[in-house]
Amino acid sequence: MDITMDKKSKWSLVIVLVSMIVAVGGFIAWYKFFREVDQAPFATAEERFMYGSIGGENEAGIPYWIFVVLPRMFPEYLPGQGGYASLGIAWEEGKELPVGFTKKVVGFPRVSNTCAVCHTTSYRVSTDADPVFVAAGPGHTSNVQGFFSFLRDVANDPRFNADNLLSEIKLVTDLSLLDQVLYRFIIIPFTKKALLERNFDWMERDDMAPWGHGRDDAMNLTKYFMLEMEEDGSYGPSDFPSIWNLQKYKPKEGMRMNWDGATYDAYSVLTDSALGIVAEPQDDFVAQMEWLLDYLSKLQAPKYPFPINAALATAGETVFKNNCATCHASEHTGKRIHLDDIGTDPNRIASWSTDAAKAANRTATELGVDRRGMVEDEALDGYIAVHLDGIWLRAPYLHNGSIPNLRELLSSVEDRTAVFYRGYDIYDSVNVGFEFQGREAERVGSRFEVSRRGNGNQGHEFGITLPESEKAALIEYLKTL
Amino acid sequence: MSVDVPEVVAGHPAKSVRRCKVCFWVLTILLLLSVLTILWLVLRFTIDEPVVYEDPVEHFKYGSTGGERESGFPYWIWKALPKVCADYLPGEGYASLGMLYEEDKDLPIGVSKRRVTGLDRVFLNCAVCHTNTLRDTPDSVPQIITGMPANTLDLFSFEQFFFNCAADARFSPDFIMPVIESMDADLDLIDRYLVYPLAVYLMRDQVLMLKERFKFVEHQPVWGPGRVDTFNSAKVIFNFPLDKARPEELVGTTDFPSIWNQRQKEGMHLHWDGNNTRLQERNRSAAFGAGATPPTLDRESVKRMEEWLMDSKPPPWAWSVDKALSSKGAEIYAHYCAECHGASGTDFTGAQVGKVLTIDEIGTDRYRLDSYTRTLAVNQNLLYTGYGDERFSNFRKTNGYANMPLDGLWLRAPYLHNGSVPTLQDLLSPAADRPQQFYRGYDVYDPVNVGFVTTVAAEGDKSFFLFDTNVAGNSNRGHEGAAYGTQLSISDKQALLEFLKTF
Repeated sequence: MDITMDKKSKWSLVIVLVSMIVAVGGFIAWYKFFREVDQAPFATAEERFMYGSIGGENEAGIPYWIFVVLPRMFPEYLPGQGGYASLGIAWEEGKELPVGFTKKVVGFPRVSNTCAVCHTTSYRVSTDADPVFVAAGPGHTSNVQGFFSFLRDVANDPRFNADNLLSEIKLVTDLSLLDQVLYRFIIIPFTKKALLERNFDWMERDDMAPWGHGRDDAMNLTKYFMLEMEEDGSYGPSDFPSIWNLQKYKPKEGMRMNWDGATYDAYSVLTDSALGIVAEPQDDFVAQMEWLLDYLSKLQAPKYPFPINAALATAGETVFKNNCATCHASEHTGKRIHLDDIGTDPNRIASWSTDAAKAANRTATELGVDRRGMVEDEALDGYIAVHLDGIWLRAPYLHNGSIPNLRELLSSVEDRTAVFYRGYDIYDSVNVGFEFQGREAERVGSRFEVSRRGNGNQGHEFGITLPESEKAALIEYLKTL
Repeated sequence: MSVDVPEVVAGHPAKSVRRCKVCFWVLTILLLLSVLTILWLVLRFTIDEPVVYEDPVEHFKYGSTGGERESGFPYWIWKALPKVCADYLPGEGYASLGMLYEEDKDLPIGVSKRRVTGLDRVFLNCAVCHTNTLRDTPDSVPQIITGMPANTLDLFSFEQFFFNCAADARFSPDFIMPVIESMDADLDLIDRYLVYPLAVYLMRDQVLMLKERFKFVEHQPVWGPGRVDTFNSAKVIFNFPLDKARPEELVGTTDFPSIWNQRQKEGMHLHWDGNNTRLQERNRSAAFGAGATPPTLDRESVKRMEEWLMDSKPPPWAWSVDKALSSKGAEIYAHYCAECHGASGTDFTGAQVGKVLTIDEIGTDRYRLDSYTRTLAVNQNLLYTGYGDERFSNFRKTNGYANMPLDGLWLRAPYLHNGSVPTLQDLLSPAADRPQQFYRGYDVYDPVNVGFVTTVAAEGDKSFFLFDTNVAGNSNRGHEGAAYGTQLSISDKQALLEFLKTF
């Protein structure tokens, strides 16, 4: 009896012990890898837009301490000095992370991106002035391709290993022994593997100009990253657009979104762009998207920060009505203009297709995202006649950002600058755009050659024959929009 | 053996009892011994104890910032290097670099000691750049004054000494260990054959890594004593590739400042360009220079230094003051200087005190301003991240230089942020009349012109540094014109000078 009792109790003891170990182990695993800690509330909606998580940490986040030390370990893979700031991304004084970067604890602190990384404008009125950051404006200084290349290059470097990373992290913080073990054996190897698995090769081909500051190859990013489609050789670099005042897009009236009108409505643009960042929608995805839609629908374009000659602007309004309003302030606004009529670079259109649209809609549905989605039943044969609110801050111009300022947009193609530098943040109030030449523009910016594929600056040759006085008036008026 | 024993025990129960007893005791003793050895080793290598000074002034001079933990030089290597690499020093020992030794002390002022990672390690603290000597005449006994700029310290040559020595073949146990042994070091066998030889290699790697990261100084004009390039050095924390920087960023050499009366300076724009308004951040930023990183900073020890600095005072002017002349000077001061520099040497009230005057207004050399960049400022936001409220968030790019209170002004020569004007008398002259070249690094005072003697090239075997205002970063222009008193009459200037002596 005693013996059987003993055996029984031994077994129960073993079972109890094993279940305790499993329970404790499970708890530690949950705590260290999955426990989500809500971010502290943001003081303003603008801060939430710039730094609030949209759920990218879970699938696409970089462990915080790795994010902190990478630029110090591998500065040679960045375009200049200044860590992540060398990528031109906006970074407010006093803030822990650049605009468009968000930090959240999912088990451990992780860094991911928000919409603001491509949609915040940074500008200065003079070299001595503080930068101004405009939420929802085009991120014309953001070198997103540089960020991708950086991540690829560091992951491929043999020095990206636990020994080196942990010894650099040790200079910055004191991780607990458990965290050191987790970083060494799980977090660092998995991060490296995840970065190596991303295919960036299609981005960098000899026949394709670099995106440069303020641009991406948006549709190919969708095709190759999200939809995992076969490479088709197309290249459609385009500017990050402004995304303020989304309420102006009225899908029911036939307006479409994206440069080529490939998407039905603002909500679909938000969800699909966000999927590019978060990889997998989290529980609060819909709530996040609805908040963004609400915030961005009402947010208005910023006012022009320099004096405006009111009389000249009034004269310009007449010029505008006679020359521009047909497309930019009429029932055609927000709708597609045929490529034959607009004549701008066709590559962006060629980078998207009905097949891709169907695949995107399928994938979104599979991910449980309910939205009207990508246009499947219309010919994508032109570019949208855009609304012009805040146009003063949306340089360089045209969908591919091939024309540095408004003055040049009103010039004939041969008078438009063929080689210039994008990504410099000093505002040029004479020509209405950003400074694009000179030592500093060359140092911080990226060289843009209109002769490269996708970069053509032809087309939209409207208003180019106006007399100088009318051009000046028109430009003055455009500053008021 | 230990594996065999149980088998024997099992095979021959009768015989084994006695043997087993012996085995048991032997095993127990062995076990105890190894446990004790392990304990001893663990204690030996995990002990972390700074040398502590009860007196706050001693603590300021020799106390630890925690920098030894990560950056500390093994004590005996520190002692041996001036002999091993004597040819990389301008004279005898660290004193030839302008470091100050007090009579009863084995380390110079500004060097702290801590037992950590199994050996005594030494590194710099705040006092190395903020303490100096003063002599009335070449024959006077040097008086040590804490909190004043370290005018004699040649930090540039100090760094170069270690860089050069580490890159030299002599930086190896073969050369260093015999020198250590000749110095009657109290090293045990583990130290002699394990810890120190290993420490030599580790220190060499560390110094060579720093040499690589500090490469930019090789392209800079030599700083000279009493000066440092603070913020290009700060860029090294982030390993910025300085070859990609704007050329005008690469020279940012300035004088060490005085650091008295911190309490009254809370909230002012600190640093020459006023790039931070928080004392703690400013101090911790400086502590990086003393090797202290967020995880290694000895918060308790540094807090004691900070508390002492809060109310530490400069010594009064060491000679007589003409009271009547000084009162006349006070009126001139009130009219010309007080708004920017405070009501007096102890009362810092003034509408513009601690605020930044734009570079166009002040007109002084702009290299230091340009060496600090917005890019650096935003990266500094990541310093002390993970430590809650300690994370830096107050660094700002400014567009000028800050108006400083003038406490202890007489000890703060040479003047302007870059130390380009030797005396107050010269500062009250238009830039065109200020000396274009003068000697720095001498601690004998010139009470007539108010500043240190700058006309002496050498004293004994010690040569002083010839400062050239035509070199990049050294311009002596600015802070001039009617508003700055450079057009006052000679008698007014004399009166003003007399009043400034009382600060």
